[in-house]
Amino acid sequence: MKRREFLRKLGVGAVTALGMPYFATAQARPVKLATLLPLTGPFAFAGNAGREGFVDGVDYVNEVLGGIGGRRLELIVEDTGYDVARGTAAFNRVISRERADELLFVYGDSTGLSKALAPEIARIGLPYSATSFANELADPKTYPTIFVFGPTYNDMVEALLRQVRLQRGRAKIALVYSNTEFGRDPIPYAKERAKALGMEVVHEEVTPPAFTDATPVVLNLRRANPDFVILQGYALSVEPLIVRAAREQGLQAQFMGTYYSAELALIQRAGPAAEGFTVTYHNAYWYDSLVPAVDEMRKFRQRKGRDTSYRPTYYMGSLAVVLGLAEAMRRAAAAGKLTRAGVVEYLEKLGDYNGLGLQRSYEFVNHRLPYTKLYRASVRDGRFNAITDWIKLA
Amino acid sequence: MADFLPYLIGGLANGALYGLLALGFVLVYRATSVVNFAIGEFLLVGAYLTYTFALFLPLPAAILAAIPLAFLFGVLVERGFVRPLLGRNVVAVIMATIGLAAALDGAVQLIWGPDLKYLSGSLPNLGFQAGEVFVSSRAVWNLLLALPLGLGLLWLLRRSRYGILVRAISEREVAALALGIPTARILAGVWGVSALLATLAGALLAVASGVGHNLVFFGLKVFPVAILGGLDSVGGALLAGFLLGALEALSQRYLEPVLPGFTEALPFVVVLLVLLVRPYGLLGERQIERV
Repeated sequence: MKRREFLRKLGVGAVTALGMPYFATAQARPVKLATLLPLTGPFAFAGNAGREGFVDGVDYVNEVLGGIGGRRLELIVEDTGYDVARGTAAFNRVISRERADELLFVYGDSTGLSKALAPEIARIGLPYSATSFANELADPKTYPTIFVFGPTYNDMVEALLRQVRLQRGRAKIALVYSNTEFGRDPIPYAKERAKALGMEVVHEEVTPPAFTDATPVVLNLRRANPDFVILQGYALSVEPLIVRAAREQGLQAQFMGTYYSAELALIQRAGPAAEGFTVTYHNAYWYDSLVPAVDEMRKFRQRKGRDTSYRPTYYMGSLAVVLGLAEAMRRAAAAGKLTRAGVVEYLEKLGDYNGLGLQRSYEFVNHRLPYTKLYRASVRDGRFNAITDWIKLA
Repeated sequence: MADFLPYLIGGLANGALYGLLALGFVLVYRATSVVNFAIGEFLLVGAYLTYTFALFLPLPAAILAAIPLAFLFGVLVERGFVRPLLGRNVVAVIMATIGLAAALDGAVQLIWGPDLKYLSGSLPNLGFQAGEVFVSSRAVWNLLLALPLGLGLLWLLRRSRYGILVRAISEREVAALALGIPTARILAGVWGVSALLATLAGALLAVASGVGHNLVFFGLKVFPVAILGGLDSVGGALLAGFLLGALEALSQRYLEPVLPGFTEALPFVVVLLVLLVRPYGLLGERQIERV
């Protein structure tokens, strides 16, 4: 071999040898899911439980389901402190740092943050979901890449009003809600729908999202004397306080709430006053041991040496998102479409999957899952017990 | 009247807690000229201390056990954060208390975790029916603890030797030092008392609504209360607490139906209106500076 030829072959060999690892890494580049959660601040209890659900879900997808078409699913976690400005900054940080072909999904927190980010998300075609069930987000015409992994707040109120009609017919309703996007979201629908169902909205009370004295609220409720009180927009900050004060002052009305009231802490904090509190909830509880996902995750956590005691609803919600999303990604990968557009396409076609029983199905209607169950608080059992089967809301 | 009174009583009961917290805030401001932005976190720490003791003690005993620890906590804050900065630019001290608030928020979450807590026991039920008006147990406890404590503290400040020394230091610290008054020890005690009052307010709130980070928001109410009463007036803080508590409750009854959400802004609107007429607050001292 001539010296020149030898050097040329050596050069080609060296370049190949040095370049191969990069080539191999490119092949095995992870698929990324970013979460913007309130890990500190007033909703840290929900954000941290939600984070745990994402961590378990992602580990389960990688270790048990074999990842996404041979690629590892990677979780990015950012703290928002339940603050729209911090959440927006975290979103911008993630978007500018990550590659568009790797970051295929973002999960945000709060109705306020999601509404603020929605136009930008639509512009860059990024698949997105959030802890929010705001009605405005379930609008594929305006926001084609945003999905609500559950019923909207309007749907939840619809389920509650149907139950009211079943129990009392032309009942008197009171609406108590926080002066936030989260609180106000379903109120116009609730008023309109209650009227259409022949019910009377006898009282409407707007409050701060957190307060420490429920006396004026309960006194106002006593004057209105409703049969049912629907609480919206609090996430356990005041429900126990209102319910306890109401019972102490002899208010007989039945209390109801939506997804974020459906946590056992309500029963633990309100004590006997929580009896009969009715909520909508669309995932499984950790104590629903007949649901395959619960059984599977208990065993998985045990294998990983993680705590297998009660996991809150926020954990179950995150888990449901990861399982549904991973299934859509796997299908997209199998079709050679593991891109942002591909994830949107396969989320829309996920109707035959139910996330090991965590959802009734992932059949999105207008980009939300319009199914829920109703549960009622039992103080003796210390838990919410289902009082209906799945209710279809669209 | 039967419609008006329950709101008024509920409001006064809530105002008693505002007053208690503002009392501690004003006491510190008066003695050291430090605006303690971490007052909400003092309350939070106090509530968590009560929760911790309530795990193995009956609730009244847990509150009593938390109080000396809270006093110690206040003293440590003064030693660690405030004393090194005394005499420096006021902005430095303000930034230190803001930093302290953030550090305490983080520390509380690290120590007790992010989950919502609830107290296992409860205080004896003192609620009663007076004619058509029901007075809740919470209202009775708030008034029963806050009112004598507030008035007692006022008396102490005016009449006791300790109170006179605190007032002497707040008038002129250098002169007090020259007279041999142990200012360092007394100022540490003032911070201790402030933490103690915040803990009592935190414990009473925790009994009613559980323990969680949202208690910090209650601390924010201290600013309109203290400004309304007069930043240097301990009696004014107590009075303004009751006043704002009652106004908030009455607004919830009479204004909320026509102006939804107004009650949230009410304390600040009242402060604004009062400051237009009395810039030094309801009972604040009129400062005249010769230039």
